[in-house]
Order: sequence, then C-alpha cells, then structure tokens
Amino acid sequence: MPAILDIEHLTKRYARTTAVQDLSLSVPAGSVFGLLGPNGSGKTTTLGIALGVLHASGGTVRWFGAAPTAASRRRVGSLLETPNFFPYLSARQNLQISADTKRTSPAGIARALELVDLAGRQHEPVRGFSLGMKQRLALAAALLGEPEVLVLDEPTNGLDPQGIADVRGLIQRLAAEGRTIILASHLLDEVQKVCTHAAVLHQGRLRAAGAVSDILAATDRVHLRLAPDAAPQQLHQALLAVPFAQSVQLAPDGTCTLTLAPGHSPAELNRALFAQGLVLAHLSTERRSLETQFLQIINN
Amino acid sequence: MFRTELRKLLPYRTAWIILLLFTALLAATAAGAGGVNVNGQQLGQALYALPGLWTNLVYLASYFSLLPAFLLIMLITDEFQYRTLRQQVIDGASREQLVLDKLLVALLLSGWALLSVLAVGLYFGLTRSGANAADILAAAPRPLLLYAAQLLGYLALAALLAVLIRRSTPTIVALLLYVWVLERLIRYFLPDEIDRFLPMKALDILTPSPFAQTLDTVLGPSGALLPGEAVPVALGYAVLFWLLSALLLRIRDL
Repeated sequence: MPAILDIEHLTKRYARTTAVQDLSLSVPAGSVFGLLGPNGSGKTTTLGIALGVLHASGGTVRWFGAAPTAASRRRVGSLLETPNFFPYLSARQNLQISADTKRTSPAGIARALELVDLAGRQHEPVRGFSLGMKQRLALAAALLGEPEVLVLDEPTNGLDPQGIADVRGLIQRLAAEGRTIILASHLLDEVQKVCTHAAVLHQGRLRAAGAVSDILAATDRVHLRLAPDAAPQQLHQALLAVPFAQSVQLAPDGTCTLTLAPGHSPAELNRALFAQGLVLAHLSTERRSLETQFLQIINN
Repeated sequence: MFRTELRKLLPYRTAWIILLLFTALLAATAAGAGGVNVNGQQLGQALYALPGLWTNLVYLASYFSLLPAFLLIMLITDEFQYRTLRQQVIDGASREQLVLDKLLVALLLSGWALLSVLAVGLYFGLTRSGANAADILAAAPRPLLLYAAQLLGYLALAALLAVLIRRSTPTIVALLLYVWVLERLIRYFLPDEIDRFLPMKALDILTPSPFAQTLDTVLGPSGALLPGEAVPVALGYAVLFWLLSALLLRIRDL
C-alpha cells in the first residue's frame, strides 16, 4: 500500500523540552491509523508539524509522496487539538469560512451539519455552544469537501456517550468508504475499536508501530506445565510444533507460556499435546488487559 | 481571500461601532472646529473654504487614525486568540495568504476612512462655503491621497505590532507608546536630517497642520519633509512593515 503520510526522523525541540524525538512512521493509504499515547507524548505536536502549523527542528514530512504544501493540506480534513471558530459567527457562517479556505463548494455545508446533528442550530452563534457541540462542528468542518484523508485529534473530547458512539460509527463509515483516517487518542479502547494500524508514542519517542492486531490485541496468555517427572524441554519442543501456538516461552520452573492464534482455544491445545503423547499437569489462562499491554509497551 | 475577510468583518459589531465612531467624530469635529479661536480670531468659514477645506479636514481626520488602527489590531489579535489563523493554515491557506488577507482589510478600512472624509468634506463644503460640488471634488484628490498614504503607514505598523505581540491590549498599548513616547524620545537623540525619516514624523507630515504655514513664518522652516516627499517614505514603511509581518508569521509556530 502506498503511504499517505511519511514522517522521517522528526524532531521538535522547545527551549527546555523535546516534544518529539527522531520519530519515523508511515501511514498506509486506506488505513485507520491510531496515534496512541498518554497526554504530552507528542501526538498533537507531530500532527501540528504534519499540518504545517508548527515548524520541525529536524526531520521531514511528506504528504501523498511529496513535500507538504497548502494545496496538499486542502486534501486533508483536520481537527487538531481544539475546535477553532469565530465565537460571534454562527455555525453556518464558520463553516462558510472553512469552505472558502478549503476552496470547496459551500453546497456541502448543509450535509456536514446534518451529519453531526447541528442543522437545527446552524444559525446560532458558536459562543453559546457547549464543548461537545463545538467538537461536532469541528468534525463537520473537517468533513467539508469530502477529503480523502481525515486527521482527528482526540475527536471524542467533550462528547457524551452517545456522541462518542456516533463519532466512532462515523469514523468506521468513512473508513469503509476507503478514506484514510489518522486518529490521535489517549484512549486505548478507542484506538483498538476503530483503528487498523497504530503507533504508540511516549515522551516524544515511538515505542511501537504496526497493525493493531499485533501490538494491541488483548490476547490471553496460556500457562502449561507437565507432571514433575517429565522433562520440561519436551513440552517446549512439542509446543513449537503446534501451528496455532505463538510466542512460546519456557520459564526456569518448567512452565511454558504462549498465546493462541485467533480462533483457537486452550482445549484444542490440550488435545494437540495429548495427541503427541504429552499429559498436562497444569493449564491456566491469564487475562491481560489492554492497559497492561500499553503500559508494557511504553515502559519497555 | 477578500470574500472570506468580509464574512468575518461584516457581522462583527465592534467593527461597525469603531468605523461609525470614526465617521461621527470626524463630522462632529468638523462641525465644531469652526468655532475654534486661533490668534484671537475665530476659524469660522475659513475652515470650510477652498482651497484649504480638504487639507483642514484630513488634518482633523488624522487625529482619529488610531481608531482604524485599533480595529485592525483587534481583527488580527482576535484570530490569534480564537486560533483561527492556525485553523486556516490547517485547512489549506498559506501563511502569505493570511497576511495578504489582512492587507486587504487594511485597504478596506482606509477606504472607509477616505469615504468618510469625502462625505464630510462634501457636506460642509456645500453647506458652508458656497462652492459648487465640482470645484470641491476637484480639490480633493491630493490631500486625500496624502491621507491615504498616512493611513496605510499607520495600519501597517498596527498590523506588525499585532502579529508580533498577538494580544490586543498589549498591542494597543505598544502602538500608543511608540506613537506618543518612544519615537519622540528617539527623535531627541537624532539630528533633524535623520529624524524626519522616522515613521511617525514622516506620516504626520502627510496631513500638515493648517497652522503650520503660520508657524513656519514665525519660527522658520521646521526641517521636516514636504508632504510630497513623505509619500514614498510612508509607502516604503508600509511595505516594510507588511513584509516583516509576513516574515514573522512565516517563521513562527502558530
């Protein structure tokens, strides 16, 4: 898949801090790419540089295979950090300004307002809007002109549970239409529920990147042990031969741990080992939360 | 884009208040100035008579040039405050376009000020000097163009300070400090042949005081530039200030 956004060795230094350090990542076309990390990890700074509002101290950004320009930014619909509007103008007037800047037809304004459920309040000044309403208006602005790429920085900020569900549904619908979506979030389950790919940032550095199923799957770990009189190495060898046993590890006490490929159960594993003439004395599963995995990634 | 700037400006109530205040103050001052006593004599009808009408009027208007400058400062600093400049860059505007947009706003504000002077001058010229409209309008271009150059210089300085400081109140204070205090201090240390090229001195000379001629007779020539000479200096400053604004916006994070 060609890359929509390519970031190489990106660094952003402020007077006393380094917000992003030597960050390289690539967003494949058609992916829902999660930029995951705790507050202050450098997500917004990275996107701010990619979208031309911050200057990098080092490194390069390429959109659509070329150096970024104002024209390339017009192909991207973005909601970065906070919704930014003229408070004395109405929702519709603000979207007209967005449409002018994006050089898109104002004909899409009505549809965008409908999509975020603000059509009924489009003539009210934005200063009277709640944070959630402003956030929805910012989403409408990002959707104007039906851009091929969407950059959404904490898009569910300030939304109520229904609003959060709606935004997630919207992201999934847009992704199904083939658009590339870059989603920055500190919410693990948000990234896991909607993203195909993810990069984990911590203190401005990239800690992990790849398919979400690889780096953030809430896989359970299976623990196995043979009877004390059996040779532990025998179990380890047998497990390596089981095709659905993954990341097999042998502990010093003879216990083996592993994860199962999707669609396989511990019962199947037990059967496979029994077929090889091995009888287990212990089999248990350890449930690992997303949080545990995330903390493990950022602490490594 | 001019259309986008109009979308921001036209519904902005404060802008209308300041612009109407400018026109009303100019009209009220022009109406009241006839009663002013100079050297024991009332200005009276002489204020409205040709050929001095327009020179007198742009001199009065120059006292209110700070109002459009304040408005431009508010329009620029508001956009930093609302982070809408940042949003426009995100949405695909270039930083140079943002500066160009504000230059168009400055031209629009100058246009309002010129139209106000024109309307007030025409009204008082017709009602109090007895001259006909054609003669009144024929005398208008030179003083009005000098006033336009002054306004463009003022507004360019206001825009530069707004881009530099980014908050309205400190920017307005900085502008007033420069206009009223700082440049006067600098002039104190500079010889006349250099200080006449300082921004405020060059701008002020574009709308000379109606009493300047009398003063020159009494005190001798002031050493300042002639209005015609000050035009390229004023426009040069305007270009320089707008280029510096563009440079600042280009190198800074938004």
